[in-house]
Order: sequence, then C-alpha cells, then structure tokens
Amino acid sequence: MITETEPETTETQTTRGKVYVIDRGRPKLRAGQGLLTGLDVVFRHFRDALTRKLEKPSQQTGVFTVQYPEERLKLPEAFRNFPILLYDDETGHELCTSCFQCQRICPPQVIHMTQARDPATGKAVPAVAEFLIEYDACMSCGLCAEVCPFDAIKMDHEFEFSTDVHGGLTINKAGLNRPISYYEKIAPTFWAEVKDGAMKKLQGNMKRRPDLIGVAPQMIDTIKAKRAEVAVAQAPAPAPSAPDSAPTDKAARLAAIRAKAAAKEADAQPAPSDDSAPTDKAARLAAIRAANAARKDEAANVAQTSDTTSDDKAARLAAIRAANAAKKAAAEGAPASASAAPPAHTAPTSDTPPAASSTPDDKAARLAAIRAANAAKKAAAEGAPASASAAPAAHAAPTSDTPPAASSTPDDKAARLAAIRAANAAKKAAAQKQDGNDDQ
Amino acid sequence: MTDILRSWIGSALPDWLIVLIAYLIVTTIVLFYAVGNFILMVWAERRIVARMQDRLGPNRVGPAGLLQPIADAVKMFTKEDIVPRNADRWVHLLAPVVSLAPVAMMLAVIPWGRGWEPIDLNVALLYIVAVSAVSGVGLMMAGWGSNNKFALLGAMRAVAQLVSYEIPAVTALLTVVVLAGGMSLLNLPHLQAGVPIMGATILCNDPAGCSPLLYTTITSFPGSPNEPVQALDLGLGWWVFTPVGLLGFVVFFIAALAEGERTPFDIPEADSEIVAGYMTEYSGMKFATFYIAQYILNFALAALAATAFLGGWQGPGVAALANMGGPWVHAAAALSAFYLLAKIWILFFVMIWLRGAFPRLRVDQLMDFAWKLLLPLALVNILSASLMVSITQWTGAQWSGVVNLDGFASWQRQLIAVIVTAIINIAATYWILSINQRPAEQEWDEELVVAP
Repeated sequence: MITETEPETTETQTTRGKVYVIDRGRPKLRAGQGLLTGLDVVFRHFRDALTRKLEKPSQQTGVFTVQYPEERLKLPEAFRNFPILLYDDETGHELCTSCFQCQRICPPQVIHMTQARDPATGKAVPAVAEFLIEYDACMSCGLCAEVCPFDAIKMDHEFEFSTDVHGGLTINKAGLNRPISYYEKIAPTFWAEVKDGAMKKLQGNMKRRPDLIGVAPQMIDTIKAKRAEVAVAQAPAPAPSAPDSAPTDKAARLAAIRAKAAAKEADAQPAPSDDSAPTDKAARLAAIRAANAARKDEAANVAQTSDTTSDDKAARLAAIRAANAAKKAAAEGAPASASAAPPAHTAPTSDTPPAASSTPDDKAARLAAIRAANAAKKAAAEGAPASASAAPAAHAAPTSDTPPAASSTPDDKAARLAAIRAANAAKKAAAQKQDGNDDQ
Repeated sequence: MTDILRSWIGSALPDWLIVLIAYLIVTTIVLFYAVGNFILMVWAERRIVARMQDRLGPNRVGPAGLLQPIADAVKMFTKEDIVPRNADRWVHLLAPVVSLAPVAMMLAVIPWGRGWEPIDLNVALLYIVAVSAVSGVGLMMAGWGSNNKFALLGAMRAVAQLVSYEIPAVTALLTVVVLAGGMSLLNLPHLQAGVPIMGATILCNDPAGCSPLLYTTITSFPGSPNEPVQALDLGLGWWVFTPVGLLGFVVFFIAALAEGERTPFDIPEADSEIVAGYMTEYSGMKFATFYIAQYILNFALAALAATAFLGGWQGPGVAALANMGGPWVHAAAALSAFYLLAKIWILFFVMIWLRGAFPRLRVDQLMDFAWKLLLPLALVNILSASLMVSITQWTGAQWSGVVNLDGFASWQRQLIAVIVTAIINIAATYWILSINQRPAEQEWDEELVVAP
C-alpha cells in the first residue's frame, strides 16, 4: 500500500482498525536547528540568571532561588499555620468570650479553655481564663478561625516552630495573645472585612467583664498604669474651678498620687506571666489606699455638693441600693474576710478623683451617700478588726456612683451599670462576711 | 626545564639525575595544573548549570562557593571505602587507577604554551589516541569487578560508546594529521599562525618594510619545498576558520563529548536508568578517582581540540611579543598559555551548556549518530583535507600534469582550496543529513489490510 505519492491524508482499513497516513510534504533539512534553538533558550536563562531574580510569575527567566533564612517570600494573606488569639491594642481586652465554639469544632481536639469567673460573684463572665492550644497536634485546618463568632481566634503566619522540646509546643493564653494590630498587619483585607463587627461585639462584651478580667495578661500592668495616669490627669483639673472644695481636692489628689505610686510599684515589679488581676498585691494595696483616702474626704465631699441641680434617677437608685447594702453589711458586720474587700475597692481607684472634683447635686444621691457613709462609720465602730475591710466595701458604692451624677450624662448606662455592680459587690461582701461569721 | 637545571646544578649531579629531576618537576607542575583546573571545573560546572536552570548553585562554602570542591574532597576522604563481598577485590581496586592513569598520561604531550610542552613526541596524536583508549579497560574492569548488574550494564555501554566514538574522533584527527603533515602536537599551533581563513599565506613583499609586530617568519608545511617566508601573522590562522577544520572540529568535539561521557552522551552513567553505571559500587576516594579521571579526560580532550583546531596557544599578540625577543619571549609564553587555557575553558563552557540544554540519547540513537553521521562526515573531511593540502602545496610535478597551480601566489592557492573544500563539505553534509532523515519505508503487512 503506497501512500507517499498522495498529497493528503490517506486511510487504510486493517483488521486492527483504520490507519491514517498524513503526507506532510517534503520536510525541511534538519541540521540541528532545533538543537540550536534549545541552546539559545538555555543561554538566555543563563544570561538572565546572572543579572536578575525571578520576581513575577510571568517572567520566564531569572534566578528562581529564594535563599530562605536570609530571604523570605511574602506570605499570602490567606496563609495559615497555627491559631492565635487577638486582643484590643488600647484596652488590652481579649476578643475571646470563651464560647467554646473553636474547642468543639477542632478536629484533632487540641484547643482547651477555661471560662473566667467573676471572683466576686462566682458567675461565669464572657472572657477566657486560660486557653491552651497544642501546636504539635494542630493540623492547621483553620476551622477554629472560621467558626469563631467574635473573630477572636485567627490563623497566624508564623511557621518556624522547630524545637526539641515537645511540651514547648503547648501554648497558653499569654503565648497565644497577639494585638489586633499584628493581625491587621499580616492580613489587612481580612481584618477590614470583620473589623466593625468584631469591635462592636467586643464593646458589648467588655461591659459584662468586671475590672481586669478578660484583659490580656501581658497588658494588665499597662492598663493599670494608664488608668492611674488618667486619674492623675483628671485630679488637679477642678482645683481652680472649685476653690471652695479645697480640702476635698487635697484628699482626692493625695489618693490619686498614692494610687499612682502604687501602680508604679506594680510596674517596677517584673510581672510574671501567671500574674492576674486579683492576685496583684501592689494593685490591691493601691486600691485599698485609694479607698481609704476617698473615705476620709467623703464627708466633706458630700457636704459641699449643695449648689448643684442634677437629678439622675438611676444614679439615685443605685446610690440608695448601695447605701442599703452597706447598711446591711454594717449591721451584719463582724470579722470580715479580707478577700471580700479588694473587688469592691478596685473601682474607687479610678473613680474617686472625679468624685472629688465633681459637685454632685442630686439630693437623693447625697442622702444615699451620707447614709452609706454613716453605715460605714457604724460598721467601723462595731467591728474593730473588720472595719478595715468592711468600711471600704460600703464606701465603694457611693464613690463609684457619684461621678456619673456629676458628669452631666444622666442617661449613661455604663455609669448605672457601675453603680449596680458596686452595689452587688457590697452585697457580696456582706454575704461573705456572713459566711465568715458562720465559719467562726 | 632540563636546560635550566643543567645550568644551575649541572656540575654537582650526574646528567641522568638532572634529567630525572627535571621531568619529575615538569610532571608535578602539569598534574597540579590539571588538578587545579579539575577543582575549578567542578565548581564552575555546578555554578553554571545552576544558572542555566535558574538556580544559584553552591554558594555557601567560601566566597561564591569556591571552596565547595574542597569540602567535597574532605567528604570523599572521610567516606567509608566499601567493596562488595562478591566483588573481585583486585580488579575493583585497580579499575579507578587504570582509568585515571592513561588520562593523566595524555597531558604529557599537549603544548600548554609557546615553548611549554612537557614532551615533544613526534607521534603525539597517535600516542593520545592509543592512551585514551586504555581508559576504556578501566571502565570495563570497574563494571566487571563490581559484580553488579548496573555496573556491568554501565560498563558495557561505556565500552561500546568509547569504541564507537573512537572512530569518528580519530578520523577527524586524521584531518589534522593530513594538514600538518605529521603527528606532532608541538607543531600544530605554529602551523595555525596567520589570519583567519587565509592562514599564513599573505606574504610580505618587501622584507625590509614589514614590521616584526605584524609579520613573522613562517616555516612552511613540512615536506613543502618552499623556503621560510615572512607572512602576516595575527595568530588567528586557526584551522577552525577553514571548511576542513570547521567540519573536523565539529566532528571531533562531538566525539570528544561522547568519549568524555558528557551529556548528551552520558549513557554509561545514566543515573536515572542504571544508578551510576560502572561507578555504582564505588565510594569514597575510589569514586573520587573516577570523578577526577572523567574531568581530567574532559580537560585533556578540550585541550586537544583546542590545540588541533583552535590554534592551541596561538592568539593575537603572541607572535609579536615573541618577535620582540629578549625577556618578551617569556611574556609571549605566558600569554600563549593563557590563550590555550581560555580556549579550554570556552570549550568546557560549551560542554556545560550542552549538558544544560539536551537530554540523554538512547543507545541506538548514539550508535546511529556515530556511524551514520559522524563517520561519513569525517571521511569526507579527509578527502577535503587532502585536496586542501594538494591545492596549496603540490607542485605541477606532484599533480603529474593534471593541474598546474605553480603560477598562482600562495594566497590564491589557499583561496581556491578553501572554496573547493567548502563546496565539497557543504554538499556532503547536506547529502548525509538528508539521507539520514529520510523516513524508513512504511510497509504494511498485506495480510492485515482489508479491502475497503
């Protein structure tokens, strides 16, 4: 079967199917042109590799190598390795609310967490006390970050975890915490998508966290110092405006200075990683001192608030409640447990200076404050050993609710909330005192 | 060297001792030269191939990775020397030596510079061809002595390849022998003086007016009746610029690639197919010896190709410096040594370049290439070379009256020879290439064909 003479495709039927023979005409002489083309390509690669790097994928030549430890490729935003926890840069508040969603979804079950509890009430608060992730068993699936309703857990870009210490790959909360700014840096568009929602949720949750609970451990001291600074900054302000309240101001200023000194002391101490708010001795000391100072000036403070005209019902209510609670505490007052005091005292550290500078005008509030003071005095008179702790507990409430009254925002929810909390704290203190009595 | 030693210590020692010491010194220098080049070649090959593949290559040990071969050598020295239990111990041990020794012996006859030749052997080309063939024995010993299938396969392939490619290589070198009228390598660079294509045929008409910087005294081809003449000499009359030399060079270089087992002819090693061929069972310094042997063989073959076709140490300026006399002769020697080294390295770069570009041939392709393409081309080239010599040098009497070119000037005769050989070589190359690529006749088995 001759097919070469025919110019086009010919078809031959064989037992094994059709055979097509294509006549491509007379071929060009092949004398190594293909080889030379290949050499040319290789030479261009050689030449360009000497002069430049391969920077974008469309480029065909240039050195491809990235000398890793010295040079690094920019990781894509969606790169994920191991999860981290985010906290707010300014307030130090963690976004995590301890909802356990990530722990539930984690396929290798390497996420473990403990929910934080309010030490005063023992109730769970939307914050996490401890958070553990076993990086060594994490499979980097990113489900925890996907499921997190508060955008608190995100996937990090860090990938160099080589170590010979196996246990070192179980990371606790302090090790997992990263500021939001860090995540914003590695994944700007991803954070921009969720930023508003996450921050809004955070604001909502912060209200339900008493004091420093839910603040990133490494940020606690910073936050305390900042609060003390705010206190100092606000203390001297009213001195010229209210010359008639000089004795009050002095006492308040003194309290603020003491609080600041205490905070400094706390800063000066090397803060260990397990250092948490309730156990911080220096901070507690500062709180106690501030409370004492507030108590000292309270009589004068209340007395001078005769020429004011505000009438915040909520604040009044809170103050009355606080006063009642304080009375009750005073009535039951006896040997008090020292642990009951600090939570109640922490509020005054920030609140007393504004209280001193303000001129609370609400009569009811005044009345409540006076009653509270009286109750506290009574308590002090009754239980000699218990006075140190019981009295501040009583004072915490009036001092904390007076500033909102003065700050000309009658409807401020936060202020009301603070007052309620203070009242609760006082109640709690009373309850614990009762417990202490029972124990004895 | 012998003369220098004689002048220094000739009175203190007997003459035979002086000769012995002189040759020992020369041998040491040449071997160090080759091994130094080997070290640089290993480094250069890795770096250059890396760049061709868009990589960086070794760049950690020393500046730009220059000390990498040293690190490799230290590694090789500290490796365990393993001999398979069923191997023939002595053959296994001797194989690397047998493959390295002839390669090193090849270095003895190459003129490394103007007046820098270890030995002037008048059958140097024959010697090189003969000695380089011995290294095939070493490869076969390695493959056989290892008692390993892959090693034996590799050795068989190696020997088959070496034997096949010896023939085109030697035939291509025959062109040089015809052109030079002798087998001495020492004369080859001298014969390649002059200008491109025309060689040393542009003569000086007025001996007094010719500057020694441009014109040099050329003794014509051996056997030629011509007297020494003053000819224009730029040191560029390399044979590669003539049709005969070009074809010879291409054939010889390809054959040298195969002899040196360079890609695309690295079939004996073929690490993707048969582990490492005959080197499979070798480790440590025995392996390193094979490695050195291979690179020095490439070095020597590149030097041979450069000497035979690229003018050897010949280059612009060498003749001018030499003609100035006095201490300038040494400068001329140094420059000429540099020229040869540069040519060797350019050829070596081309070897690396080919390695970076081409895949390995199949064994049948390898054989086809040698026997169907290279050998016919080399044979045609011998015919061309003979014509070239006869046109440029034969007298009318030698032609026995067929052609009489006595009346032409030497440059005219050279031009005629170049044109004639170019026509022959181009036509032959075209014809051989086209018959090689003609498709095989397609034959259908008639029984399988069904009537439509």
